[in-house]
Amino acid sequence: MDFELPSEHRMIRDTVREFCEEEISPIAQEIEDEHRFPEEVFDELADLDMLGVPISEEYGGLGGDQLMYALVTEELGRVSGGIGLSYAAHVSLASKPIELFGTDEQKERWLRPLAEGDYLGAWALTEPGSGSDASDMDTVAEKDGDEWVLNGTKQFITNANVAGSVLVKAVTDPGEGYDGISTFIVDPRNDDGFEVTSVWDKMGLNSSPTCELAFDDVRLPEDRLLGEEGEGWTQTMKTLDGGRISIAALSTGLAQGAYEAAKTYAADREQFGKPISKFDAIRDKLVDMHRKTERARLLTHKAATRYDNGQSVTQESALAKLDASEAARKVAEDAVQVLGGYGYTEDFAPQRFYRDAKLMEIGEGTSEIQHLVIGRQLGL
Amino acid sequence: MKVLVTVKEVAEVEDDFEIADLDVDPRYLEYDLNEWDEYAVESAVQLAEAADEEVEVVSVTIGPERSEETIRMALAKGVDRAVRVWDDDIEAAEFLDVASKVRLLEAVVAEEDPDIVLSGVQAHDTGFGATGVALADAIGFEWGAVVNALDIEGVLNDGVARVHRELEGGIEELTEIDLPAVLTIQTGINEPRYASLRGIRQAQSKEIAPKTLSDLGLDFSAVESELFLTDMYEPETESDATYFEGDAGEQAAALASALREKGVGAE
Ligand SMILES: Cc1cc2nc3c(=O)[nH]c(=O)nc-3n(C[C@H](O)[C@H](O)[C@H](O)COP(=O)(O)OP(=O)(O)OC[C@H]3O[C@@H](n4cnc5c(N)ncnc54)[C@H](O)[C@@H]3O)c2cc1C
Repeated sequence: MDFELPSEHRMIRDTVREFCEEEISPIAQEIEDEHRFPEEVFDELADLDMLGVPISEEYGGLGGDQLMYALVTEELGRVSGGIGLSYAAHVSLASKPIELFGTDEQKERWLRPLAEGDYLGAWALTEPGSGSDASDMDTVAEKDGDEWVLNGTKQFITNANVAGSVLVKAVTDPGEGYDGISTFIVDPRNDDGFEVTSVWDKMGLNSSPTCELAFDDVRLPEDRLLGEEGEGWTQTMKTLDGGRISIAALSTGLAQGAYEAAKTYAADREQFGKPISKFDAIRDKLVDMHRKTERARLLTHKAATRYDNGQSVTQESALAKLDASEAARKVAEDAVQVLGGYGYTEDFAPQRFYRDAKLMEIGEGTSEIQHLVIGRQLGL
Repeated sequence: MKVLVTVKEVAEVEDDFEIADLDVDPRYLEYDLNEWDEYAVESAVQLAEAADEEVEVVSVTIGPERSEETIRMALAKGVDRAVRVWDDDIEAAEFLDVASKVRLLEAVVAEEDPDIVLSGVQAHDTGFGATGVALADAIGFEWGAVVNALDIEGVLNDGVARVHRELEGGIEELTEIDLPAVLTIQTGINEPRYASLRGIRQAQSKEIAPKTLSDLGLDFSAVESELFLTDMYEPETESDATYFEGDAGEQAAALASALREKGVGAE
């Protein structure tokens, strides 16, 4: 078992880290304060070929593996959870399913612009009335001649107001349960009847837009059905297997960023005549933060490596996501504590990591749902 | 046209470190591409990008295998291929002085036959600031030192390097240097790009050709230095701080006269 990253991966991680420190770090708090989606940053990410890391080169992606993608996502999380979340949703949820389930024509039309970074994408599963119990959705698509007619509401959809495509889950056969759900590619810029009805103000991650969407008789040609009719739910499960690895990576980045902020501060800050890192209580806290972060990273890399080997990852990605999201929240909370009063101010990063980390225990399946998934995998 | 860029992996010292014998203890060192070389690489790649005809950009480094990852970063930014000079004799050399390096680089220049050589003004770690200019002298090229602007069109179309050099007192000098020439590149001449991720991936299969002394027609005598390092130590720092008393106005006045005494903002 080799715990060293390949040289190519290390070079990519180091380059992304340098970019993040120079270009994102200085504006990370500002874009949160302004609740501003930083379009210019995503233009730069596109120039650096970051928006299609695990997508094949044939369709404009980088052709990298899941591990490489996890490293990039972690680096973004280390400086900005908001940019990291919009990034991960774009890649794992909005792009990857088109690569996995789309026809060649769909990939050329809808995947290429996402992978090349012409615009971001979104993925719409959650509804006001169905979250954890996501298959119990009310959005419907009915066949009318050679068109589908889409009606319903989606809730908490990342990137939807800045997206060039939204993958929408809808019921196509109400009697069929899980097998009655299908996925549609919606063009928010050109399809009539699509509306972003609100953009949420949140506890954190405010540079990443979270939207409520309404579909009012949106008419879609047949070639907007992704994969087969009735495949929407199995697609969702496969999509989340990969997506959870990216949320784990993002969480690891948040934990790393919070840990580093606390470590640096603790070495400088003096009380009672010595650096506070010399007090057992603070040192132990920092060691513990490091331990949690490293554990989260190992679980994430394990899940990513299994994914790249073509092995099943349902359990591993749920475990990585469960552990890393909890690590991020706890490490960020401890980072606030290490900085004392300064940790509670917006002049220092830990409070931002703390706000951002909380979502990681909710999105792409809450921690309670991860327990459910893992329990089922363990045969419980 | 061929551009040769000399690049070096330099050691960066952590904030807290110890000295072991004649060097900083390697435990406290991290390695990275020399800052000045980043700008030299960018200038070379800009030349290649602006050219209608084929311009090949080759980098040359003197360094151990460890430096390959650093060199590869330059390949990721657009350098076409790299030459890395190293062997046991170089490894064993006590101290690589400027003359030794020039002997090695001179041999590489003889093999590559470049039209223009770009080097950094100096290396961040050893700081001799002499390699580029000494190389020019050895290979009989014209040279321009501490270049902070380069007219790319002139190089490509007229075979002339029109360079700006910053002189003392903020004066700028414009010089025309006929090719072939060596230019030592100053930081700030351009804005070095980030390597794109695709560039990094493509760089994995670009060539880094290893060369030994004998490959270059040299032997161990090429790295016999006439310069010896005799000591390395941290100087005692004398703290010379003055605390100005009084209200803001009085403190400012005291500061102003202190600055004037030191010659800051004179006239
Ligand atoms: C910032 C943000 C971005 C998001 N981005 C997207 C996106 O891009 N696309 C998308 O489709 N969705 C997105 N979501 C939605 C997200 O996936 C859901 O919020 C999440 O799945 C939880 O659903 P819910 O909010 O309806 O909570 P509920 O499902 O109502 O859960 C409420 C509580 O009940 C618990 N609970 C529910 N069922 C069980 C059970 N069986 N056993 C034990 N406990 C249970 C939950 O764990 C939770 O604690 C986003 C949400 C946020 C906040």
